Amino acid sequence: MIYKKDANFPYPVLTNTSNSYESGGFTLNVDLKENTDTYRFDIEYEVESAFLEQLLARKQAQLFLIIQSKDNKFFRLQPDERAIEIAKSRLSINTRTSIQMSIQATTDISFRDNEDINDFYREFKDDIIVPKHALLGFSNTVIFEGSSTKPFDLFERKIDATLKSDIKVELGSETIVIHYKNEDLQFAGMPMSGTLNNPYIYMGLQKALHRFATNPDYGDDGHVYLDDVELPTDQLDAKLYRLMKAKMVYELDVDSLDEVIYKISDRVIEKYATAVKGLEASGD
Amino acid sequence: MEIKLLSKGYKKNEQFYQDFLNDTIESNDDYFTDETVYIKEAPDFPIYMAKRSEDDRKQLFLEAFETVGNHYLDSNRELHFDEQFWHSLLVLKKRNFLLREYPEIKESISNFNNIVLKSFDWENYIYKTVIGAEYITDLVEDEATRKHYYEVIVDNLDLFNYMIKYEVFRNKQFVFNILSIVDELGLSSLLKKKITWRDDLGDDPRVGRQVLLEFNKSYPVVMSPMLEKDELKEIFMEYLGYYVDVAELGVLV
Repeated sequence: MIYKKDANFPYPVLTNTSNSYESGGFTLNVDLKENTDTYRFDIEYEVESAFLEQLLARKQAQLFLIIQSKDNKFFRLQPDERAIEIAKSRLSINTRTSIQMSIQATTDISFRDNEDINDFYREFKDDIIVPKHALLGFSNTVIFEGSSTKPFDLFERKIDATLKSDIKVELGSETIVIHYKNEDLQFAGMPMSGTLNNPYIYMGLQKALHRFATNPDYGDDGHVYLDDVELPTDQLDAKLYRLMKAKMVYELDVDSLDEVIYKISDRVIEKYATAVKGLEASGD
Repeated sequence: MEIKLLSKGYKKNEQFYQDFLNDTIESNDDYFTDETVYIKEAPDFPIYMAKRSEDDRKQLFLEAFETVGNHYLDSNRELHFDEQFWHSLLVLKKRNFLLREYPEIKESISNFNNIVLKSFDWENYIYKTVIGAEYITDLVEDEATRKHYYEVIVDNLDLFNYMIKYEVFRNKQFVFNILSIVDELGLSSLLKKKITWRDDLGDDPRVGRQVLLEFNKSYPVVMSPMLEKDELKEIFMEYLGYYVDVAELGVLV
């Protein structure tokens, strides 16, 4: 369960809102990333109490990350753990998702050596014993409402009757442009016409990523380490860069473009296949 | 399979009910959003288990758990935990199945609302099935053991309901640990027992619910959802002792 406000505790608890600790608070920052199948929460936190840090180091206390959306999920965090991955089939964040960290005692804890608490508690700290399993501190709550990375703002579709081919994929200044000689080629008017165009989306991504991977400003020999690349000034490349980063793609290679497309494109091919099977089943 | 999603306003709507009976919902665009979702497969499974004998109800639940566990849990959770998705699927793709299995739907709109358009929360049978199947398939690999745990859920449905109803307990590990403890110690019938020997506990006090209530009261001083099973078992027996004479049970803890 997530604490939204201060509950009453019969002993000092480290939070950002109570003053029972003089040393500071318990802050949490979370960065959400995702690819086709997985959400990843990159976390940064600070426990501003030497006493509690020492308990954690001695395993007399345990850190937890709590993720609450449709239900509660608890993760025991190791001291050096800074990321949690969860399959999208087990977590939805389209409804409000709250994330909090807490510290739990794994044994009875005497507060005799706790120099971080306020004057009021310090007077009788020799008598404070917090029982095993009890809460010792909780962080601020980080809230997510839906994810924001939409791949298809990348595309534009245009009709051009003068085209010398049926289809032309062009890399524009901000978007990947798919030119069609006529509307029929877009499957206009058919059910699922949007999805039936997914192979062209795929082709467009292939072309754009190939150009990205082979750009000597970003890498060598068709291989790019995205962490080494600054945000590109080319606007289309900048969109691809942001999208790949958000979808946890770290490297790009001319030989592995298909894997990257799978990660960033939210099942374009699977949806296409489903649409075609659907048409077959309905006899059209 | 492509499923158009219903737009708001279909609930408690007499015209919608009539259109369902007449099979004219799909052709009426006014009922739908522009959104479409895709799922690979959607086999039939029981979606309503009330008003059955205990044996029938158990069979229906087991069938539902197995079908949902094997076919419905690979989609993104934003789909299989979404009321709009389930209502759309039932109305568009399951009409014949529903009318055959639950003919009382034809009798009144209130039956229709209660069986087909029931809110997607702990009282909804699909919700119970989805959350139970998720928890058990995630924690148990072996098919026979999964079936066993599904039976434990049905045999302790009151306790299961109570756990998935309250946010603090709606957690995979906690639900699984409590079910395991009840199963191992053979406490099922004791926990269902109505407490007649105290009159300070409100309406219909049951031993099992009271034990969970104790967990609720002691939280967060006892952070029960995060405990390992053996630690949880100790505390479980302590709380059980508030209501019955644990020494007399003859269970070894």
